[in-house]
Amino acid sequence: MRTSRIGPLARAVLGLAAILLAAPAVPAQQLSALAPENLARPRPAPPFDLTGMWLHSGNERFDPPEGFVLTPEAQVHYDAAQRATAENKIYRNDIGLCWPAGMPIMMTRVWPVAMMQYPTAIYMISELMNSLRVVYLDGRTHTDPDIAVPSFNGESIGRWEGDSLVIDTRHFVDHHHWIHDRLGIPASDALRIVERIRMLEGGNRLEIEFTLIDPKVFEGEWVMTKFWNRVTDRDIAEVECLPELNEHMPTVHSEFQVRDLEEIQP
Amino acid sequence: MNWSIARRSRALGVAPLLAAALALVEVAPVDAHHSSAGIDRSKTVSVEGTVKTFRWANPHSWIEMEVVNAAGETEIWNFEMLPPTYLIRAGWTRSSVKAGDRIRVEANGFVNGDPGGLFVSVTLADGTVLTQRPPGRGRGGRGN
Repeated sequence: MRTSRIGPLARAVLGLAAILLAAPAVPAQQLSALAPENLARPRPAPPFDLTGMWLHSGNERFDPPEGFVLTPEAQVHYDAAQRATAENKIYRNDIGLCWPAGMPIMMTRVWPVAMMQYPTAIYMISELMNSLRVVYLDGRTHTDPDIAVPSFNGESIGRWEGDSLVIDTRHFVDHHHWIHDRLGIPASDALRIVERIRMLEGGNRLEIEFTLIDPKVFEGEWVMTKFWNRVTDRDIAEVECLPELNEHMPTVHSEFQVRDLEEIQP
Repeated sequence: MNWSIARRSRALGVAPLLAAALALVEVAPVDAHHSSAGIDRSKTVSVEGTVKTFRWANPHSWIEMEVVNAAGETEIWNFEMLPPTYLIRAGWTRSSVKAGDRIRVEANGFVNGDPGGLFVSVTLADGTVLTQRPPGRGRGGRGN
């Protein structure tokens, strides 16, 4: 009796074909920024390393430019905040109620930001509620808006340009998220932030030029530059906004809180 | 629309002065994620009572205190404080104030007289006074 014989090469080809036919038609998966093979890929040396503790200096607010024009939808919140302030009250106070500060506020509040730079990504942890921000440097593009999960800090993709790091951040949540919480300037899901970062003074100071656009909130571009100092005597701490905390913050329970728009409408 | 005062300042060569001035902000944050709406920062109230809880924690330490008011009723007063990072520099430890201690607290209170406020200083039973900042660091700010 004669049996058919298949050589080792033919078996391998048939096996591979079977695997390919059986595999679902999914796009190639993006390697994790911390995958060894991604980290090991050859890349040009970056012009600087952000690894360190950084503390913002100066006005922590993203005060709007002179003559800026809000959309009617945003103007409602701005006006409500002005009325609240005039009555010695605070409108919404979402961050005080433990909602994440989000971008851009998370970068500039009085707490330091720890930054850890790898060839493929920069990990940032703000001490304010330990908010996490990841800036991907491994060449990936922004997630398809149809599947991107909105977040308070957005999806950040960075690239090196000369002596600068340019970060493009998109895909933000559109609720309980503010560009300027005290002034009542909200952030929408159309917010886009481009940062141009330079390292100054021998690595001890950072300059970030922020360009904000949010056509659902204001007209045109909003550009401002802020600075950070390197901190060498302080490590990142665990800072949680807990229910117990707010139970004991007298201001959170005062009658000077305006939670809803209806409470402050004229 | 373009707003770039910071960049213009740098062009004028004032960045070092600006940096020196702004460095003070690091040790004296005056704003917080907890709003001070309703608080009268121009005045302090002085309240004596018995400590119920002293929490040594981020982002705020706080004291919860029982106070007997003029009508003889016991009220609960909460005082919002800076985080331990600042208190340690002002000489505090986590046991500087304990449950059951009889203390007097100075605080910025509410304009409407509601109990509670932003902590300014404490006088302990032995007369020791503790503030939130080392001497010479300016008036109290808010750490968060």
